[in-house]
Amino acid sequence: MSAQRRSWTARARERAVGALPPEKLLPDSQPVYMASWIYVFGVLSLASLVMIIASGSILSLKGPAWWHVTGVGHFFNSIHLWSVELFFFFLVIHLWGKYWMAAWRGGRARVWMTGAVAFVVAVPCALTGYVSQQNFDAQWISTQAKDGMNAVGVGAFFNVTNFGQMYSYHVLLLPAAVVALVAAHILLVRKHGIVPPFTLADRGELPARAADPEPAPDPGRVPEADPVGAGRAP
Amino acid sequence: MSFPAAAVFNLNHPAHTVHWHFFSMSASNVVVIVLMLVVFAVAILAPFPRYRGTE
Repeated sequence: MSAQRRSWTARARERAVGALPPEKLLPDSQPVYMASWIYVFGVLSLASLVMIIASGSILSLKGPAWWHVTGVGHFFNSIHLWSVELFFFFLVIHLWGKYWMAAWRGGRARVWMTGAVAFVVAVPCALTGYVSQQNFDAQWISTQAKDGMNAVGVGAFFNVTNFGQMYSYHVLLLPAAVVALVAAHILLVRKHGIVPPFTLADRGELPARAADPEPAPDPGRVPEADPVGAGRAP
Repeated sequence: MSFPAAAVFNLNHPAHTVHWHFFSMSASNVVVIVLMLVVFAVAILAPFPRYRGTE
C-alpha cells in the first residue's frame, strides 16, 4: 500500500467519491415518475430556507433598532417572516407526500429520519425567532411558552424569556443544526435516489389473468427492481 | 402610522377563533391548514405541464 493511500485524506476522498460519485451528486436527469407537482415541495422548502438564511443574515447585521424602525428594515423583517411561513407550509406538504408514498422504502430510512429530525429542530428555531422580535408580540409568546417549557421540565435550561439565550439559539445553534440536517438529507437523497411511487401491481389491484391481453408498457413506471431510477427522463 | 401597509388589515382586535366542542383554534391557523390540504390535493391531481398531451 502506498503512502498516499494510507493518509486519511485519501481514504476520506475515496469513501466520499464511492458513496457519491459526481454523476449522482450533480445529476443531469431524474426519473420519469418525478413529473408530478408533489415532488416540487422539497425544493420549494429548500428555496424558502435559502431566503430565511439570507434575510436573517441581513437582520442580524443591522439589529432590532433597524428592523423595527426603518422602512427597509420592515421589508427584510417581512421577507424573513413570510419565508418562514412558506418554509413550514411547503415542508408540511412535502412531509405528507413522502409519508403517503412511504419514502423510507428501498433503504431510505436515513433519508426519512434526517428529514423528520430537521422538521423537529426547525420548530424551536422558529419559536426562538418569534420570542427574539423585541416587541410586545415576543413578550406575549415568551410568557405563554415559558409555562409549556416549565411543564415539560426544560425551563431551567431553555429560558424563553431570556432574550440573549433565545437570540443565540435563533441565529447560531438551531440554524446550524437545521442546515446540517438539511445538507445531510439532500446528500442522502442524492445517494439513494428519489423514492419511486407505489405500483398498482404491488397493491394487488392488477391481478394477472390468462384472458387479459399483454398490457402496453407504461413509460412513466419504473419497476421496483430499479429503486434508484435507472429509467431516467432526459 | 406612517407605514401604509398597516392600513390594509385592521389587526387591532382580539384574534378570531374557531370553536367546535373541544376543538379551539385561531381562524388564521384553520385557514392555513385548509389551504395546505387544498394545495396537497392539487399537487397530486393536477397534471405536470411537461408531460401533458400525448408524450
